[in-house]
Amino acid sequence: MNETPLYRINNLKYRYENGRFLLHIPEFAIARGASIGIVGPNGGGKTTLLKILALLEDPDEGTVYLDGMKVEKTSDELKRSVTMLLQEPYLLKRTVYENVAYGLKVRNEKKGLTEKVHRTLNLVGLPPEEFAQRRWHQLSGGEAQRVALASRLIINPRVLIMDEPTASVDQRSAVLIKDAVNTMREQFNTTLIVASHDLIWLNTVASQVFRVYEGRITGLASDNVIDGPWNPESDGLWKKVLPDGQVMFSATPPGDSAAKALLNPSDIVLARAQPDGRDGLSARNIIRGTVTLLSEENHSKKVLATIDLGGLSVISRITRRAAESLHILPGTPIFVIFKASSLRWE
Amino acid sequence: MEYIFEGIVRAIELLLTGNEETFSAVFVTLKASTMSMMGSLALGIPCGFLLGYFDFTGKKQIRAIVDTLLALPTVVVGLFVYAFVSHRGPLGEMELLFTIPGIAVAQTLLVLPIVISLTATAVESLDKRLKSTLMALGARGKQIAIASILEARYAVMIAAVTAYGRAISEVGVSMMIGGNIKWHTRTITTAIALETGKGEFSMGIALGIVLLALAFTVNAMLTILKKRST
Repeated sequence: MNETPLYRINNLKYRYENGRFLLHIPEFAIARGASIGIVGPNGGGKTTLLKILALLEDPDEGTVYLDGMKVEKTSDELKRSVTMLLQEPYLLKRTVYENVAYGLKVRNEKKGLTEKVHRTLNLVGLPPEEFAQRRWHQLSGGEAQRVALASRLIINPRVLIMDEPTASVDQRSAVLIKDAVNTMREQFNTTLIVASHDLIWLNTVASQVFRVYEGRITGLASDNVIDGPWNPESDGLWKKVLPDGQVMFSATPPGDSAAKALLNPSDIVLARAQPDGRDGLSARNIIRGTVTLLSEENHSKKVLATIDLGGLSVISRITRRAAESLHILPGTPIFVIFKASSLRWE
Repeated sequence: MEYIFEGIVRAIELLLTGNEETFSAVFVTLKASTMSMMGSLALGIPCGFLLGYFDFTGKKQIRAIVDTLLALPTVVVGLFVYAFVSHRGPLGEMELLFTIPGIAVAQTLLVLPIVISLTATAVESLDKRLKSTLMALGARGKQIAIASILEARYAVMIAAVTAYGRAISEVGVSMMIGGNIKWHTRTITTAIALETGKGEFSMGIALGIVLLALAFTVNAMLTILKKRST
């Protein structure tokens, strides 16, 4: 079994024109066949990172290894097996058929072209008899996005990189995109790297989600991030006051009062009723909230419960069985319980 | 005023009866302008693509020169080409003076800046996502260039039609290089100039009608292409 990761990044730096670093990633690796999600605020460097991985941009410093070789030394065939769907996809001013067929035509793979185009259009939920001869301007936003996806999928890429593929599409298109991508991955073990603001959708296609923040990969995005300020208490704990007046405690001191605390969703316990005092409970934090969303995590098959704590949103990872026994639905009042020592610092 | 009306009536008669002299000028015009179009497109589209697509030292200066040449006076081109193709000139042996190919060569030089400049603008105006998209789909080198030109095809066609309009309506080059020789190099514009000078308004008006019809057709094509390109 080949253990070399498909991608390895070493001390990657990418500068803005003004010289400031936009991206700085000391080490990062992506395994073959992995499905990686990336989240983070706009301007944090997600798109630039994706373009570097898609070999559309070169870093200013550092090295990107693809299949164990520096990208500049890899074969053109390997480079062409990496494709990217841009955030706002560009369709060629041609028919849908011509758009989808283009990738194979430039590779001179014209055998069975029509059949392949029709099969790929079906895969993304666009019946060829209805869509193949449409022109680029005769499509809705979601249809255009799916044509763009089909034009990438038809080349059976080893790596499919997508930047906000569901940002401007309807719900149906988002589901069809997810299904098409998952089908491709099952059939061809395609490595998937996708950035999205839609964490729920992302969890349905990605097995690991990383957060890119201010040009750095700051960890797994499944962690809850809790902003400061954090103020010291007389008993050695550090306290944050939530927007509705409830308080949260940390056992370890933050680097500075504005530091962001990280909380693993698996460290959060949920209870329908408030525990009787803290005497019989080892956890310091018992906070009242309301369930706002329930979704399934693709790789773990666990339930992610999003809970509003009076203005602060946190995610708890629980088993399906626990969710069923708690009888929780969006709108259910709930108590969030976790140890003060569960909070870590970014 | 009467002679103008008489001229118009006679002009329509000349057109309807297929007057040979009139149609000779029309065919010479179409032949010369078509040849010049082929030459200017063959040279201008690649040059315009290079100028619009790539960044290189001196690009701005070249662009400024090309844009200045858009307003090139026809008589200056005529003078320049005459100097080269006359019997004493370096290209005198090619015997282009007073021939339709000679007119076409001069018209090519006249409209080349139009084709280069408008093609460069069309390529510069291409969506910034196009190159990334083509690369992501696996296109390389020549494939990217061809696909980019195809994406700009309506704008490039606008350049071609604009250049054609300039070629069929110019008079200076046709007069100086063609010599306005009846049955051989007399074009619509040189014939109008000559006939008007002689006081023969009817043929001038007849040819004017043909020229206007051509200009109208060219303009209609421009309008359609502009609509399709947006």
